[in-house]
Amino acid sequence: MMPLLPARSRHRRGIATAAVIGIACALLPISALNAAAKNATPSSLPEAEFRRISAEQYRNIIHDVFGPTVELGGRFEPELRLNGLLAVGASSIAATAVGMEQFDAIARSIASQVVNQKHREQMIPCQPAAVTAPDDACARRFLGKVGRLLYRQPLPGRQLDAHVGAAHVGAEGVKDFYRGLALSLGAMLSSPQFLFRKATLEPDPEQRGGYRLDAHAKASQLSFFLWNAGPDLLLLKAAESGELNSRKGLARQVDRMIASPRLEAGVRAFFVDNFRFDDTVSITKDVALFPKYNAQVMANAREQTLRTIVDLLLKQKGDYRDLFTTKKTFLTRELGAIYRVPVVGTQPNGSPDTWEPFEFPPNDPRGGILTQVAFTATHSPAGRGSPTLRGKALREIILCQKVPAPPGDVDFTLVNNTTSYNTARERLAAHATEPMCAGCHKIMDPIGLALENFDGAGEYRTTENGAPIDASGELNGVKFSDPSGLGRAVHDDPAAATCLVNRLSAYALGRVPANAKQPWVALLQKSFAANGYRVPELMRTIATSDAFYRVAPKGEPSPPKQKAAATTLPQPEIRK
Amino acid sequence: MSAFPAVAPRTDRRRALRPAYVVVALAASFLGQPAAATETKGWVVSWLGQAMYSQDGDCPDGINPRWKEQRLRVLADLGYTKKEIDDLVNEQLAGKSGGRIGPLIVNRGRLNGEPVNAYLYPSAVVDPKLHAMGGKYAYGFDLDGKGPNSPHAFEDPETHEKGVDHELARAFGCMPQFRGSLTITPGNWAWTWSQLKDNQPAWVITLTGEDLSKDGDVTIAIDRAIEFLRSNSDGNTRFDMTYRVDPDPRSQNVYLGKIKNGVVILREPGTKSIHLLQDPQVAPEFRMSNVQMRLKRNPDRTLEVMLGGYQPWADLYFSFASGAAGNETAQTGDIPGLYYLMKKYADAAADPRTGQNTAISATYYLTAVPAFVRPAGADKDGKVAAR
Repeated sequence: MMPLLPARSRHRRGIATAAVIGIACALLPISALNAAAKNATPSSLPEAEFRRISAEQYRNIIHDVFGPTVELGGRFEPELRLNGLLAVGASSIAATAVGMEQFDAIARSIASQVVNQKHREQMIPCQPAAVTAPDDACARRFLGKVGRLLYRQPLPGRQLDAHVGAAHVGAEGVKDFYRGLALSLGAMLSSPQFLFRKATLEPDPEQRGGYRLDAHAKASQLSFFLWNAGPDLLLLKAAESGELNSRKGLARQVDRMIASPRLEAGVRAFFVDNFRFDDTVSITKDVALFPKYNAQVMANAREQTLRTIVDLLLKQKGDYRDLFTTKKTFLTRELGAIYRVPVVGTQPNGSPDTWEPFEFPPNDPRGGILTQVAFTATHSPAGRGSPTLRGKALREIILCQKVPAPPGDVDFTLVNNTTSYNTARERLAAHATEPMCAGCHKIMDPIGLALENFDGAGEYRTTENGAPIDASGELNGVKFSDPSGLGRAVHDDPAAATCLVNRLSAYALGRVPANAKQPWVALLQKSFAANGYRVPELMRTIATSDAFYRVAPKGEPSPPKQKAAATTLPQPEIRK
Repeated sequence: MSAFPAVAPRTDRRRALRPAYVVVALAASFLGQPAAATETKGWVVSWLGQAMYSQDGDCPDGINPRWKEQRLRVLADLGYTKKEIDDLVNEQLAGKSGGRIGPLIVNRGRLNGEPVNAYLYPSAVVDPKLHAMGGKYAYGFDLDGKGPNSPHAFEDPETHEKGVDHELARAFGCMPQFRGSLTITPGNWAWTWSQLKDNQPAWVITLTGEDLSKDGDVTIAIDRAIEFLRSNSDGNTRFDMTYRVDPDPRSQNVYLGKIKNGVVILREPGTKSIHLLQDPQVAPEFRMSNVQMRLKRNPDRTLEVMLGGYQPWADLYFSFASGAAGNETAQTGDIPGLYYLMKKYADAAADPRTGQNTAISATYYLTAVPAFVRPAGADKDGKVAAR
């Protein structure tokens, strides 16, 4: 009998049908879960929160599930910074239509790589009876296995049936088992259940009328916080066995995760977010003025600070505040040229630069992450340094203090006048004679002027336009004479440690802790100090706290407003 | 012990593995007296080219025509009529030549009446008798020690030393691609350096002395590094990079020098040679005998070096001929012509059998930017020369 459609049309129709079914089953889980939640819980149950996974988390999950040889390609939608953190913004963003197209394109690319000749034997745990026909048993085995990891919980039978069905229709249409499987996997990777973390709630037996995350949501909360990735099989097993709902079991999993080398990814992710290192990718400099600068230098600079952080906090188990004074860091040859210090490579000629440990001498003005290129160059315009921007960044990022936005009609004539005023100190002093500017500048400039020994690209200098640089400054009444003094002042300022706790707790929760959680935050502050300002210990305290998994009942007051200079909540910033 | 290396001090004891220094240091410590502190500064070479001082009127017989015109003369010498030459050129200009003119030029040598490659057999090409430079000035040094009485001696335009031997300037000084100055770099040498700088390990220079800010004795080292030269986004050499000296002794050169009036010169000029392996694409080795040099430190931390000596002219010829027709067209001009010029003006190292001089006096101008230099053989945490 003649087929009803030409082969080409049948082929296209097969793909289209499979795609429609795939999308339908990708969207199924959210509606199904919402309906299920509605039916199964009291009417007072707070609405579940969704947090879009970050690009880095997406990457980590894909590499965990499919291995590092699968390439992601493409770019993700911009993220949103709220209250100083992208992690907080992640609770407030959805995906635009264009963003979904990007997610879908990346998902299809990943799926096609997973099933290609190179990977299929390694990644698919079974072989179809015939490659030209559907094999529901094999598809079910594969999709059930990866679905559990991608959705961070086992797929309900109906949902798995839908995915297997989509793979079946696809394979039948194109007469290729693997392409059918890829269509279904692609739909899975485009699913909101994968792209968003859902805080599924259940009544909290220990909190009358209260709620807590269910075991799988708890596993996700823990894993994204500590590892910046989805739960591994052991954590999922702990969730499924009920282990995570016992304090002992939770502590056991937290200990395991903190002892894992993967904690580094979690620590890095927090500091990339907290220190706004996502900004570094868009930094440009005038190479006529800063000839050593290039994109690679900036990438290295960001990595330098991250290595400094990881070494001090994780490897040395050091005091967080020492990040502002430590003389120890890691440099490449290229960064050595920026810092004007020798960095001896260890590789044969032509090899990429290696990272070498380096320690500045005790009396060297350089030391602490504030004097590193990632800070000084990021918070400078393209053609010069900026005490004001650096002071503002330090206040907002390191001390969690909000600096009001400048008025719209600022006259920058004096600040840009390098003819009459050689140094930034002189120019800013002249600018400060404008009464409407003076108020804010006095909380930024005395900090930033201490970093004037670093030009707009972070290179050390002692003069500006031929005039000697005076790097003295002041922070909250503490005076100092050079960048080292600034680092010491930040180290000793209680706001630095307080800020870290506030940010880390907000990062972990995905929102600024509400009023009801303030006692918990206060407890974290005390615990952080008592443990010698050790960040891994603070992470452990957060991860083992009930408050980390409890959800405020409906009607809980909004987050407290920050005090003093931080009374104004920051405006959302769209990450470019 | 800390995983972090000791930081290189600004004042450093350099080349700890050089036996002489080790012996001095040990002896001093045994005597209970500290060894004399030394200071070392390092640079990486950012430019190398012949030191030229081309002036109007220094080519009494005129500047040699550019290759585009020279090749017409070559074709005429081969017996082609003007019309045939015009046709060949027009074909090439119209893109229809099919390479007809190229093989004629390449194989313009004649050996036993047969065409041979002109670059492989330059003496099989009739000497085009290119013009040489006849001016009064050329950068360099009195290499033969004969002072102003030396035949063809120049006067250095900077030091005004007379009796300067720089016959390579005489030979090439009327070739358009070789004319220039220290600031307007000759086209050929700019091209050569552009090949060398990114295709071979960097060359590093270190100065060691008790106090490099004062007159006194110093040690000068010119070595090849393990690493390539690193450049900025604008193509200029990056300051303050760190380089490791290649342990290969073929590229290590040490000279005793002194600072006199702020300028570094050799204590025993003309007694040593220099050898540096370089990119074989240009020439396998840069070498000169009877070396003299003058090094000047600038306020911007850069270094300028005049380096003179007798250079085997076969090395130079190899560097031109290895690029064959491409070089001839784009860089050097008439390559067999350069062969005859160097052969004629070579002024040292006579072949005992033929009497033909095999080396030619030359002066090169080098610039260098500050760099950290780790001595060969030092362990990873070993001292590094301060910039």
